[in-house]
Amino acid sequence: MPVDELLLQALNGLSFGALLFLLASGFTLVFGLMKIVNLAHGAFYLVGGYIGIATFTAARNFLVAVLAGVATAAVFGLASERVLLRRVRGKELPEVLLTVGIALVIADGCLAVFGGNPRSIPIPTVLSESVRLGGFTYPTYRLFVIALATAVGVLLYVVQHRTRLGALIRAGVDDRETAESMGINVPRVFTAMFVFGAALAGLAGVVAAGLLTLRPGADTDILLFALVVVVVGGLGSLQGAAVGSALIGLVDAFSKAWVPELSYFAVFAPMAIVLMFRPSGLFGRSRT
Amino acid sequence: MSTARWAKVAALAAGIGGVVAAPYVLPSYVVSLLTLVFISALLAGSVNLLAGLAGLVSIGHAGIAAAAAYGVAWAAVHDLGLAAELGVAAAITFAVSVVYALTTMRTAGIVFLMITLALGITVFGLALKLSSITGGQNGLTGIRRPEVVSEWWKFYFFTAATYGLCLLGLAVVSRSPFGLMLRGIRESQTRMTSLGYSVTAVKFAAVVVSGAFAGCAGVLLAWNSEFMSPSAASFSRSALAVVMVIVGGTGTLLGPLVGAGIVVAAEYWLSSYVERWQTVLGVVLILVVLFAPRGIVGGLEGLARQFSHRP
Repeated sequence: MPVDELLLQALNGLSFGALLFLLASGFTLVFGLMKIVNLAHGAFYLVGGYIGIATFTAARNFLVAVLAGVATAAVFGLASERVLLRRVRGKELPEVLLTVGIALVIADGCLAVFGGNPRSIPIPTVLSESVRLGGFTYPTYRLFVIALATAVGVLLYVVQHRTRLGALIRAGVDDRETAESMGINVPRVFTAMFVFGAALAGLAGVVAAGLLTLRPGADTDILLFALVVVVVGGLGSLQGAAVGSALIGLVDAFSKAWVPELSYFAVFAPMAIVLMFRPSGLFGRSRT
Repeated sequence: MSTARWAKVAALAAGIGGVVAAPYVLPSYVVSLLTLVFISALLAGSVNLLAGLAGLVSIGHAGIAAAAAYGVAWAAVHDLGLAAELGVAAAITFAVSVVYALTTMRTAGIVFLMITLALGITVFGLALKLSSITGGQNGLTGIRRPEVVSEWWKFYFFTAATYGLCLLGLAVVSRSPFGLMLRGIRESQTRMTSLGYSVTAVKFAAVVVSGAFAGCAGVLLAWNSEFMSPSAASFSRSALAVVMVIVGGTGTLLGPLVGAGIVVAAEYWLSSYVERWQTVLGVVLILVVLFAPRGIVGGLEGLARQFSHRP
């Protein structure tokens, strides 16, 4: 296998992994703080992406499209948390089942409004060109996705570990009761985190609209990848999401290139291996 | 016998009578929907076995059923005969259930749910990608029901009888020492461990047993539609099975049947009036979780108990 081919597949894997990180980071942060497995995360991604496409078609501006997609997903997240999830706070199973209900409703709503045909966003002009890397040319947009995910990851890490807001969140994760008795409004921190997670899913959706296509069912497809990423990386761990995304992205790209018939299976294999030897994931805290 | 017992016997007789009478009084379309209700209820029953007893909610069980159905379909397409169809289905069901069991036996609660979800979608992906075996998106055609039950009304009776037997089996498992072990695990894993049980081994066995019931549902599914496509393993199929259990009543014997009735009615009957039946289903799920957490049958049982305990 020539070096160029290897590099090409590695970049494909990393750019898909970057997209996965945008999605999985929100999922894992929400879980880390609230212990909610948000199965509507894929639906937030889908609705954000669709709104992004519609806005781009109307306004011809990628930044506006991103903002619209992120805002829409955030609004859906806010409504889900304030109206529904808050009523069953702390009960694991009802919470998940509610998110399944929300996912069904949002996905069906997307089908009603945007139809069943695959849609994607025309890549914005500045990013539509390709750059020469060694012996091949590579789409700038994919490199942009990698840069964006890296920036988001660094930002999240810095916020979590170096700011007052991050300290509030970590306090909520570690000991909710003590945090509350110190005067922290934990329910408000919860809502903010859930909305932020949904917004990240929306961002991933708009970014994905330029990378993949969006269609009915794309929400559960991408949800599988996000789940595998967080299970491999460790539920609730930001570093785990980063390492898991890169790993799963690379495995996906190389398996698609080498053993296309087994590409789904290849993504699942690392998860099974990690689960057998480290049930709490690579970076997860063991849960009892 | 006490009044309550008489009432139960009468209800059972009325139920069986109704099931037997259905093809003679109802139009064939409704009977074929009832067939589908029984098949869905069997899959939901296998989910309920884990969810109701052990508190392990699987949102990937359609994957096991679909694997069994693909076994039937594959053997049928290769003209291997009835015995091979059942044999291949049983072998695949066992193999897939063991994979489900091995990957989930050390987990509980949310992690169990997430891994089964990922497994279910993986089966879906394999069904889609391994097109040389599964026919990919186009699916497999050329499946035929066994000669003796080929007509729609005969197949209805066959399905109803299979469901009845499986229901009996589920009831036996639920009341057996094994069922008690599962309940113990739901209440406290630590206590079960200190009593000397291997929680991991019990969970492994539970998933495999539940998988066997899901496999039966899969065989019926393949024979019913005489066609297999990846959508049988899709996330929404697995999610619907969970919806049936939750709406009907987790941990109740007949809850999955009631839930399956409601879901099938929504999917096939409601959909001819309202285009957005999935939205309706999502809203029903949300309402049940918020306002009737024990489901319809669970709620009714609670009411009946209150009523009978009144002096």
